[in-house]
Amino acid sequence: MKRLCGILALSLASGLAMAAPGVALKDESVLSKPVAGSAAVGKLNKGMAVDIVAKQGGWLQVKAGGKQGWVRLLSVRAGAGGTGGNGLAGVAGVAGAVTQKSDSSRVVAVAGVRGLNEEDLKGAKFDAAELARLEGYTVSASQAQAFADKSGLKAVKIKALPKPESAAAGETP
Amino acid sequence: MKKIFSILALLLGAQVASSAAFDLGNILQLPEPNKQKKTEQPAQPSSAQSSAISPLMLLGKTPVAEEVRIGRQVAGDLLGAAPLVKDDTLQRYVNTVGRWVAQQSGRKDLTWHFGVIESEDINAFAAPGGYVFLTKGLYKRLNNEAELAGVLAHEIAHVSKKHHLDLLKKSALIGTLAQSVSKEVKSGDQAVQNLIGNGAEMLARGLDKDAEFEADRIGAVFAARAGYDPWGLPTVLQDMAAINPGDNRLALLYKTHPSAADRVAHLGEAVGDRFDSLPAGKEFPERFYRIK
Repeated sequence: MKRLCGILALSLASGLAMAAPGVALKDESVLSKPVAGSAAVGKLNKGMAVDIVAKQGGWLQVKAGGKQGWVRLLSVRAGAGGTGGNGLAGVAGVAGAVTQKSDSSRVVAVAGVRGLNEEDLKGAKFDAAELARLEGYTVSASQAQAFADKSGLKAVKIKALPKPESAAAGETP
Repeated sequence: MKKIFSILALLLGAQVASSAAFDLGNILQLPEPNKQKKTEQPAQPSSAQSSAISPLMLLGKTPVAEEVRIGRQVAGDLLGAAPLVKDDTLQRYVNTVGRWVAQQSGRKDLTWHFGVIESEDINAFAAPGGYVFLTKGLYKRLNNEAELAGVLAHEIAHVSKKHHLDLLKKSALIGTLAQSVSKEVKSGDQAVQNLIGNGAEMLARGLDKDAEFEADRIGAVFAARAGYDPWGLPTVLQDMAAINPGDNRLALLYKTHPSAADRVAHLGEAVGDRFDSLPAGKEFPERFYRIK
C-alpha cells in the first residue's frame, strides 16, 4: 500500500482518477484475495488496460473489465499504455490513448530539470577528494553482520531465478 | 501534505534514539559467522595502485586487485560528474545496507563502497571491484529499506557477474595501448585511464539488455537472501514504469537500460510463482532514512 501512495499521488495530482493506470502483461486470473490459489473473480488478457488500486506484498489489486481483484505484482506493469517501453507498444497501443493526458502534464512539470547526461560523464574529471570521502564510509563485513543481527535480518538460502525460456517476455516484434 | 511532513518529522525525531542502531560506532564488532574462503584475496585499493595493467588479460598482482583498480578510476570519474550528497548519516546507512546485501553476493572478497550522488536523475551505477552508486533522485523515490536493498542488489549483481569488466575486456579499447607506467596522478590512475578512457564514459555507454535483465533477476534474489522483502526491486521498477519515459530524469537510464516496462515483464516471467514460498522478508519503512 505504501508504494501505491507514490503511484496514486501521481494520478491524484493529475486529478484524473483515483487509481494508477497499468497494462496486463499476460493472461491471468484475477483472484478474490492476494493469495495464490484463491478463487478467481475475473480474467486479465495480455495488453488489457487496468487500474491499479492497491498493493500488498507481491500482489496488486486491480480493476479491469468491471471486475476488481488481485494479481501478482509483476503480471501487470504500471504506466499508461502507450508510454511503456517500445517492446510493449504493440500490445499496449490500443489501451494507451486513455490515460495519456496525465503523463503529458508531468513532462511539462519536469522539463526544466537537466539530468546527468552523457556529456557530463564524458567530460568528468577524476575527483580524488570525493573518492576518499566515499572510501571513508566503508562498512566492514563484521559491521554489516552486526547490523543484520540487531535488525533481525537473517541470511536465507534462496535459489537463483532461471533465465526465462521465452526471451520475449513483453517484447513484441 | 504539510501535516504529513510534520508527522514525518516527528517520526524522524523519535527515531533519533533508535537510530543509534545505525551509529556504527555502537554496533558490536561481531566475528563473521562464515570462515573466509581460501579463494578470497585481499582487495585493498592501495595495493592495486602499484601494479601495471596488461592490456589483454587485465592482469595485475591478482585479478581482484586489477578489478578494483579499474573500478576505482571509474568511481572517481563519476564522482567528478556528480559528487556525493553531503549527508554522512545517509552515506553510512547506504553503505551498511549495501554491505549486508553484498555479503550474499558471492563477492565477500571485495571491499564494497556505496554512495548517493548529487543528481535529480533517476539512476544507479556500478563499477568493477565493488563501487556502487545511486542518485539522490532515485533514493528520494524509495519508500523502505527493502526497496533500497533491491536497487543496490541490482548493482551488486553487475559487479558479481563482472558485467562491466567483461565489457571492457571485449572492448576495442583494451589492447590499443601497451603497458603504461602506473602512477597515481591528480587525474587518477593514468594507466587505467589510458586503457579504458574516461571511466565514467563507460557508464554512459551501458551494458547490453540481457545483462540488465540478468541483474534484475539476481538482484531480487540477493535482496531476498539478505532477509529483505523480495518485492523491493520489482516495486521500484513498477514505480519507474509509471513515470513517462520521456521524463528528462530518465534520459540516461533509458539510454543505457531497457525500459522499466520491459524489465517488469522480464522479471515477472522469471519470478512467476517462485517467490510464493519465500519467508516474509523485512521492509523497515519506519527506520528507512529519508533525505531531509
